[in-house]
Amino acid sequence: MSTPIGPWQKNSALAWREIDDETVIISPTENVMHELNDTGSFLWKNIDGRRTSAELAELLAAEYEVTPSAALADTEALLQQLISSKLLVPAAAATDGVPR
Amino acid sequence: MSASQTTLGRGLEQQFELSIGCIPLRLHVSDARVLSQARERYRAFAGNEAPPFSIYLKESFAENGGNPEFVYDFEAQHAALRAFSAESQFIGAKNAYALDSLLRILLSWVLLRHAGFLLHGATVVRKGRAYIFTGSSGAGKSTIASFSPAGSVLTDEISLLRRENGEWRAYGTPFWGEFRATGSNSSAPVAGIFRLAHAPENHIKPLRAVETLRGILPNVLFFSEELAANQRLLEILGQAVKEISGYNLAFRRDKTFWEALPS
Repeated sequence: MSTPIGPWQKNSALAWREIDDETVIISPTENVMHELNDTGSFLWKNIDGRRTSAELAELLAAEYEVTPSAALADTEALLQQLISSKLLVPAAAATDGVPR
Repeated sequence: MSASQTTLGRGLEQQFELSIGCIPLRLHVSDARVLSQARERYRAFAGNEAPPFSIYLKESFAENGGNPEFVYDFEAQHAALRAFSAESQFIGAKNAYALDSLLRILLSWVLLRHAGFLLHGATVVRKGRAYIFTGSSGAGKSTIASFSPAGSVLTDEISLLRRENGEWRAYGTPFWGEFRATGSNSSAPVAGIFRLAHAPENHIKPLRAVETLRGILPNVLFFSEELAANQRLLEILGQAVKEISGYNLAFRRDKTFWEALPS
């Protein structure tokens, strides 16, 4: 589970939008809809191509008042899922801006 | 029929104006048979008042015709379209079926600028409000239409939703399924979107916005793989599911399903 140190960047080929406290992500070339819950959405919003998993975990711990170790475990687990689903790419591989 | 006809150029091309979902369109057709089929097929949607989006039915795409904003190859019908900001070219629209298919594809794209989208679904108007029943083939769209009063069904197959002046309205379309008709060119404010499933008893369950989106997304007609277009579509759908109540509707095959719906 230690893979996602980062920094990682949102895959710029994806369309996404927040709906209530959740985030919906779709790939124009695949008929798949991805959903992130509120903590997932919080991390997604803060993934900016610069922050590492440790830095993201610090933000998560402050926002949700969880221990640093729990926040880091949750952050790395989510990042791993996003990487596996190709929703994140290494920051150096990201091309243009992130869709809004 | 109020379609206009104008003989142009070599005396071969004729124009046929129509309006679907208040989107004004003008077909430029040289093939008399296709023109005749279009007049019959879209007779309830003929005529428009606003400056139209022109659609040219051609044998081949013009060379050096500029860079289209949207391209789609409908391989099954050996047909294709290229769309620009104010006009589109169709090739291969040699019959009403191919023309119909290209028109749906084009509309799904044009509607992005009108805060609208096409949805596989039946639209039924009851007490002045439009009920949208969506689902895949066999889910019950035509069944719902068949149990609804004559004249109340705007479509049994492809619903058109648009947000206008802060209100979502559903429009009739000429795109029909089993419940054959030419459609009704009218509209009504949307009461709700109902995701259909057959069941022994009627049951309705309200959905959260994201659940509604999950339910309708597979049934949204959209053909562009371009990122900006998909981002715009997601914005429109996101607004729709936040502002329109969504439900799962399990229904039995009779008219009693109306009793389960919110008034």
